[in-house]
Amino acid sequence: MGRSLAFLIPFVSLIAVAASGSQGAETVWSGLVIAENVVQPQPIPTELTRIEGVLKKFFGYNQFQVIGQSQKTLKTGQEDWLATSKFFGLHVDAQGESAAGYVLNLKLYKEKELLLETDAKLSKRSPLVIKGPQVGSGQLLLVLVIQ
Amino acid sequence: MKTFEEKWTAWLDGQLSGRELSEFEASLPDKAAAEAEKADAKKLSALLKRELGISALTNEEFFSHQLHERIRESSVSSVEREARGSTWWTIPRLLWTGTASLTVFLIFTMFVMRDKNPTEESQYLTQILNARVDPVVSPNASVSMFEVKQDRVTVLWTEGLQSLPADYAAK
Repeated sequence: MGRSLAFLIPFVSLIAVAASGSQGAETVWSGLVIAENVVQPQPIPTELTRIEGVLKKFFGYNQFQVIGQSQKTLKTGQEDWLATSKFFGLHVDAQGESAAGYVLNLKLYKEKELLLETDAKLSKRSPLVIKGPQVGSGQLLLVLVIQ
Repeated sequence: MKTFEEKWTAWLDGQLSGRELSEFEASLPDKAAAEAEKADAKKLSALLKRELGISALTNEEFFSHQLHERIRESSVSSVEREARGSTWWTIPRLLWTGTASLTVFLIFTMFVMRDKNPTEESQYLTQILNARVDPVVSPNASVSMFEVKQDRVTVLWTEGLQSLPADYAAK
């Protein structure tokens, strides 16, 4: 009994340490969002729930609608993908993974016209919001979240 | 040529004989005193032999004595060997000590790994490395970035981008 316990303790500890250190593939959600002030706002999309407060506080709108989105599971950290709406396209090019997150190159296109380009290190626990151009009475926002 | 002392010692031991004995006894000044001294010497010799003499062992006694000596030596050496060979590090204790050491090591490792996380706090928020807008399309545009640490959100804020009609909000 005593000897089996002596073997069991380090075995369980090793598994616990290994489990705490293991990491899996992660999914990046990229969205093109139109923020507007309306009389009867629609519920916020589930992907934006965790940053609803920030969006409302900083951009001053009461409705956020997703007009284009993409979900990409990153395995190598070198993938690229596109989130598109009818007129906009967000091209995301992952350029490597670090302990803190992914290095991404982002390009916002209006049809074929490049409006904005940025490089960012997207943290696994910190969403990125980009204020795009004014669209009608609203605002285009680009949101990237690691789920 | 023997000295007087040598002849005296030999006479006391009864080793003079014949002409040598008669000549020595004739040379003694007081033969009666000498005879008394010889008798005393013999008594003393007998006493010493009796009291100090080594009693000879019989075969059985000698064998038994040898055997007891061997047993005593072997028992003493085995006790000494045991004293030298015995240690606190028995196998169960070694096992438990190893387990305890490994557990302590793993606990410290977990603490170190946990302490490593605060250093990553600086990289906890998303960082914007750079941002550019097309100066031809939006000549008055500017970009700024800020981090909302409370909500762990990073915002890239643009101003002066070309405004677009509401149709562009279509899905």
